[in-house]
Amino acid sequence: MKKKLISMLLCSAMLVSLLAGCGSGGETPAADTQTDAETEAEAGTEAEGEAVSDVTIKVAAIETAYGSDMWKEVCEAFTAETGIQVELTTDKNLEDVIGPSMQGGDYPDVIHLATGREAALTEQFIKGNMIADITDVLSMTVPGEDALVSEKIAGGFTETSLTNPYGDGKTYLAPMFYSPCGLFYNAGLLEEKGWSVPTTWDEMWELGDKAMEEGIYLFTYPTTGYFDAFFYALMYSAGGPEFFNKATNYEEGIWETPEAQTCFDIVTKLASYTNPITPAQANDQDFTQNQQLVLDNKAIFMPNGTWIVEEMKDAPRAEGFEWGMTALPAVEEGGDRYSYTWFEQAWIPSGAANQDAAKQFIAFLYSDVACGIFAKAGAIQPVLNISDTLEGDNQMFYSIYDNGAKAAMGNFAAFDAIPGVEVRTVFFDPVNSLVSGDITEQDWIDGVIAGSDQMRANLK
Amino acid sequence: MFSVAAGRRTARRVSVDLGKEQAVMKKDRKMSGFLVLCLAPAVILFFIFMIVPTFNVFRISLYEKGAYTPDETFVGLANFKTLLTDASFIRSMQNMILLVVVVTIITFAFALVFAGILTREKLKGQNFFRVVFYIPNILSVVVISGIFSAIYKPENGMLNSIIGLFRDMTNPILWKGQSLVMVSIIIAMVWQAIGYYMVMYMASMASVPQSLYESAGLDGAGRLTQFFQITIPLIWTNIRTTLTFFIISTINMAFLFVKAMTSGGPNGASDVALNYMYSQKDAGLYGYSMAIGVVIFLFSFALSALVNKVTERETLEF
Repeated sequence: MKKKLISMLLCSAMLVSLLAGCGSGGETPAADTQTDAETEAEAGTEAEGEAVSDVTIKVAAIETAYGSDMWKEVCEAFTAETGIQVELTTDKNLEDVIGPSMQGGDYPDVIHLATGREAALTEQFIKGNMIADITDVLSMTVPGEDALVSEKIAGGFTETSLTNPYGDGKTYLAPMFYSPCGLFYNAGLLEEKGWSVPTTWDEMWELGDKAMEEGIYLFTYPTTGYFDAFFYALMYSAGGPEFFNKATNYEEGIWETPEAQTCFDIVTKLASYTNPITPAQANDQDFTQNQQLVLDNKAIFMPNGTWIVEEMKDAPRAEGFEWGMTALPAVEEGGDRYSYTWFEQAWIPSGAANQDAAKQFIAFLYSDVACGIFAKAGAIQPVLNISDTLEGDNQMFYSIYDNGAKAAMGNFAAFDAIPGVEVRTVFFDPVNSLVSGDITEQDWIDGVIAGSDQMRANLK
Repeated sequence: MFSVAAGRRTARRVSVDLGKEQAVMKKDRKMSGFLVLCLAPAVILFFIFMIVPTFNVFRISLYEKGAYTPDETFVGLANFKTLLTDASFIRSMQNMILLVVVVTIITFAFALVFAGILTREKLKGQNFFRVVFYIPNILSVVVISGIFSAIYKPENGMLNSIIGLFRDMTNPILWKGQSLVMVSIIIAMVWQAIGYYMVMYMASMASVPQSLYESAGLDGAGRLTQFFQITIPLIWTNIRTTLTFFIISTINMAFLFVKAMTSGGPNGASDVALNYMYSQKDAGLYGYSMAIGVVIFLFSFALSALVNKVTERETLEF
């Protein structure tokens, strides 16, 4: 009997400790729900004070170099204009924040997240046909204004594969914050040495030799990811839009054409002029060290975008440093020079609950009010005549197209996911090995051809 | 870890007690009902949070599925077939195996020797060393990766600055370059792991009776002989257990270090299997990445079993 009692006690002790474990585990989520409810209640009281609307949309926006305050302001302005409440989520790693709940079927109504990020969330939604068609947004009136959305967005932005990924004439992603990409350099250094900015690749190599004599390398790059904008512009300047379109649709034999060979040759030659420590720092953790090489006059050019000024604003720099930016040099004397127009995208998941309100929100992003708020933070919306209102470095950067450079837009066509084959790993990552001399140009080309064949076979 | 081990020991003792009791009270139905009630929460939780996810990994590895798409297509063993021809996967497995083998051997050798020195020899500042060796274990992997990234910096990193005293550094050594990146990761991982295992071995070495060493000393055995003939055999059980721990943890640690130090670069030179699995999920190949998960699961399971079998010895009592 005594034993029985003891064992009963033991068992109940186990049960209690187990339940205690459950209890403490359960507390945290409960607390979370409470705060959630509180915020909702607060939002509710706010709504009562202002225009009455029972719709609340969830907006998720990536926080980049522009910061997240501009999003708060835009959301407030939107609510003031339309009465639709906005629940905003911003984070530097937005994928990790909204990803898990989306896997559970809970989608934000508007997502601002560009393609080309490592987690490739937007690409996955494109590949999975899970983005809502927003072609009709273009013919909507901008809330609070008389103009149509299509009248505000600058030409060409809604005709690229970045906004119309399936090439069916329908727009799925709204173009956001654009930035001309090109080669960034220290204008002060070139002035001091009396070197001129090269306009052709031949001049570029000449400059490279001259600089090498002074112990300065011609080129560096933050990570191989930055080669996308560079390579797109290079393809445009080597073979024009026609070649670009064929290449980005992986046309058979395209990589064996003279135009493609020109592109490969230029990158390979550039690799030999690249500061050799670049690949060792070309990862997501150390890439600013490569950008620092330009600030320290250890390399002259690097491919980048206008955000670099803000990103490196606190970094130490050589005396007399001044940012300069140029389009890619022409392939031959008198040839076209291109600067890639990089832009981000906002889109509506097809699983979103409030699609109509979400479309209004996207239309509002092109209003003068929203553009003004974004521009204050340095984010420039692709609307007509916006470059007239810019100041400082931005004025110089955004006037690149007024100074003779042509705009290059578009990207590699979407394809069904293939194991081990991605645009970046096939086309751009090998540049690291080219610089370190671990592979030859032909190895790279062979890899591109093999990868491109698979991509063509899996085109959407 | 210690507290967990202690907890397990108590649990085992409790379950042994319960076993005896059960035999006595087999007929008592009420009692067995009560037992079921007691065990149910643990079993249910274990089932939901351990069995179901593991089963799902195996199930999804047979499907083609994106991380966010609800629809899935059954493809049988196709994912595994693709794995065999995927050069990136094979390279990432090779890197992982390299890390498991090299890091394990170096770490264990150093940990045993240091533990031997610190317990057997009379050193000044023993406790100081003990603490210093243990410190890396308190730091998070991200911090360690940050420290080592700074040490490995090509231009003004600590390592290259020191080497620069002896040789010309116009072409700096690229520790995170393609040819040396794995060596750099191995060094960081060994540095991180030594302290923990050293403390473990010190604990078991301290319980080896002093008299054994004294009598061996009288018989003319030197320190090395004592180490190999007395210390190692007597703490063998401990070595075996930690070896299994270590193999499993290295597979996980390799992912953390690679993710925080190189993201698998340059050009995939430092990619390990778990990192590759992660990147394939991002590429929208959820099923394929789960197939990689299955391979890693089976690999670590088999390796642990193998190590356990190979290191089997008669347990020595003292």
